[in-house]
Amino acid sequence: MHVPRPSLRKRVTTASAGKTASLFTKIFLSAIAVVTIGALIIDLLTGGLTPNCQNNPLDPLCIPGYAIRTLTRMTIAYAFALGFALTYGIATAMSHRASHVLLPLLDIFQSVPVLGVVPVVFLIILGTGANPPVFNQEVASIILIFTAMAWAPTFGVIAGINAIPTDIKEAAHAYGMHGAKYLRQIVLPAVFPELVWSSILAWGGGWYLIPVEEHLAFGSPPNQTQVDLPGIGRYIALAALKADLGLALFGLVVLVGIILAIDRLIWKPLGTRAEKYKYETVAAPRTTATRQSSVVAGVRRYEDRLVSPVLTFFKSERSYAGRVLEITRLKRIRHITERLRFPERISRIPLWGRLLSYAIFVGLVILGLIVTIMSRSQSIESGISLLATDVTGFGLVAITVLSLSRLVIAYAIALSWTLGAGILIARSQRLSRLLVPIFDIGQSIPATALFPLVVILLVNPFKNSPYLGFTLNLASVLLILTGMQWYLLFNIVGAVNGVPNDILEATTAYRIRGRRFVKEILIPASFPAILIGSIQAWGGGWNALIVSEYIGPNANVPGLGSFLVQASSKDPALATVEIYASLLVMTATVLIINRMVWRRLLRKADRYKFEA
Amino acid sequence: MSQPSEPILQIEDITKIYPGEGKSTTVLDHISFDVYKEFLCIVGPSGCGKSTLLRIIDGLDKPTGGQVVFHGQPITSPSPKIGVIFQTFALIPWKTVLGNVLMAISSTSIQKEEQLKIAQKYIQDVGLEGFESSYPKELSGGMKQRVGIARALALQPEVLLMDEPFSSLDALTAENLRREVLDIWRDPAYPTGSVIMVTHNVQEAVEMADRVIVLSARPAKIVDDVKIDLERPRSPRDPALYDLADRIISKIS
Repeated sequence: MHVPRPSLRKRVTTASAGKTASLFTKIFLSAIAVVTIGALIIDLLTGGLTPNCQNNPLDPLCIPGYAIRTLTRMTIAYAFALGFALTYGIATAMSHRASHVLLPLLDIFQSVPVLGVVPVVFLIILGTGANPPVFNQEVASIILIFTAMAWAPTFGVIAGINAIPTDIKEAAHAYGMHGAKYLRQIVLPAVFPELVWSSILAWGGGWYLIPVEEHLAFGSPPNQTQVDLPGIGRYIALAALKADLGLALFGLVVLVGIILAIDRLIWKPLGTRAEKYKYETVAAPRTTATRQSSVVAGVRRYEDRLVSPVLTFFKSERSYAGRVLEITRLKRIRHITERLRFPERISRIPLWGRLLSYAIFVGLVILGLIVTIMSRSQSIESGISLLATDVTGFGLVAITVLSLSRLVIAYAIALSWTLGAGILIARSQRLSRLLVPIFDIGQSIPATALFPLVVILLVNPFKNSPYLGFTLNLASVLLILTGMQWYLLFNIVGAVNGVPNDILEATTAYRIRGRRFVKEILIPASFPAILIGSIQAWGGGWNALIVSEYIGPNANVPGLGSFLVQASSKDPALATVEIYASLLVMTATVLIINRMVWRRLLRKADRYKFEA
Repeated sequence: MSQPSEPILQIEDITKIYPGEGKSTTVLDHISFDVYKEFLCIVGPSGCGKSTLLRIIDGLDKPTGGQVVFHGQPITSPSPKIGVIFQTFALIPWKTVLGNVLMAISSTSIQKEEQLKIAQKYIQDVGLEGFESSYPKELSGGMKQRVGIARALALQPEVLLMDEPFSSLDALTAENLRREVLDIWRDPAYPTGSVIMVTHNVQEAVEMADRVIVLSARPAKIVDDVKIDLERPRSPRDPALYDLADRIISKIS
């Protein structure tokens, strides 16, 4: 009568393999078509946004036209990002040798703070004139959005291909599937779910740029190059310049509305669909635990008198938090970033691959520098000699340290509040019902879009006050915080929700409660998630740093971010050199911190994972 | 084994209903029995609510009706006099073997040094000497369950609850561990008098138990209460055991 332990069995649910991928393509293509046609119609109706919206760009009636312009840019950039992701991802996953270089290179690319790339792209693409052609501006803008969007889907494609089970590969091989057929029937469907999840991240990254890159000025007033693209980001930026809190808030609300609408209308249905097409490794149901879960639905609500407060509370509450999270995109984001950001293979890359990838990256930077200098007909020598007079190596280190200390302070604040809130959300039904939707909206706001609000509230009122230095630093830390906190929060909530039932029961049976329960069970259980969240948070923090340190000529704090922004208004040759220098320092700092701190800790985190 | 007149645990009219949307599911239907100083097995078909019953006995779950009385006191929350062993071991991955065993007694008022001594003693007793500072991930399934057993024994419980303790193990390991658990329980040096084990393995139940309570499929009712007075140690190949097992299986199906 001995019943052996149910073994893992692999279940494959690929209804009709190519169908989903083609459906995705159809939806995507028709989305592009709709947006483009819509943009054309609106353009015709409004006379190309000209008369009224050019004279009075803050007219709320111009918002639909702006939104469509912005969306069109993003859709085009996303199309390129998808193409890049599929090509690069398939090349990486299919060729073992190529992956030794392509994977670490991709890792370097995604470590470059996107906002740091903004001046570089504009330097290269825009002419030196005061009014660069609109076409060039648009191209520069789309390239920038592309750099924000490309990396996550690429990791998604790689992860998707790597997740194809060996038996499926062998079966495909045995039945003679090769080349295009293999690609269409096995690879694309396998990639589809990850592509959907990572697209959510990609769009998030794209939105992050919007408030920054549609309205920018380079150089000092006589030779100033102005980027001015109609769009929702420019609307927010202009409202901030005019210190009009009402209009800035209006723009922000519209932006968040669009983000949430896209999420609910496109990503959520696609995501639900994608779930069905996953190769799953499912453990056959265990006699008791899973049996109970079939009746779980009603169980929790009726347990009014608590037998064991911690356990009953926890069981009902966390299932609620789980359900609330289900409808938010945060869970999906958490899922994808956890899987994508650090493919395990990266740590197994041979040295030559890593060195070569660094060499390629440095080569690309040098190439970019040369192109920039040639396109702007400047001499690199004059730039470098000027650099020596403008900033010393010591100065560069000093501002790096200043920026790092802002990041550390913001991180400390973010970690302490999110750890508390994360545990509360996961444990309290009432709180999660109240807070999760708020946090969902909060995290959908690109941190850069909050920048104008901070200017209006924290900088303008203190213009002539001796406290300006303090409020500027405060504003900077707050902005960095907005770029950091959500990653931590939702990783922690997910981890607390993920503590298995048997562990909860054991701790209850052995009467471990209250503070000890939090300290000995919940915090260690969240440790791997805190690390993943921290890596993402620092990525977001670096991006926010660049906008947070420089608000205006009379309102800035010393740091890498403001150095980068100020560089663009200096002598052209010097500007070029300084922009590249600060970008390199930033990327190097990010890479060093990732390698020295997070990955090292991540390797230790294995112990804190529950066994499947 | 003679039964003193005073029961240690009284399971009184336990009912468990899971209310669902529209229709509710009755899992346990008026279950009553007394537990004396004995090795008691609860068997029943998969999903009949055996484990729920065990959780209610420990106070981990709340019955919809009825109560569990332990030495005259109704149980409302886990008692330090009752130890639990889980099917899935339920070991904390970031605690060492010693840490996992200490966890059971850390909420008691025993002095820290004394706790350490107790934990070490039980780790030795289950044959894990030398593995005190290992982490669960480094152990085999059988060794993990030994940690689970040491953890429950470290409480020096009067009652030991076991939820399918051997069904996550391979056959050979399970057989060895069954024998060791019986040896520990029969050793007068251990204070544990009553063991309640939930299992769906009837052979295992008749081999180990003084008494087997047989539950029906959901909603679970007691369909039989079988006394097993065979000499110990028993041979798994004893024909009498097969007869008993057949009798029980016929009641279940």
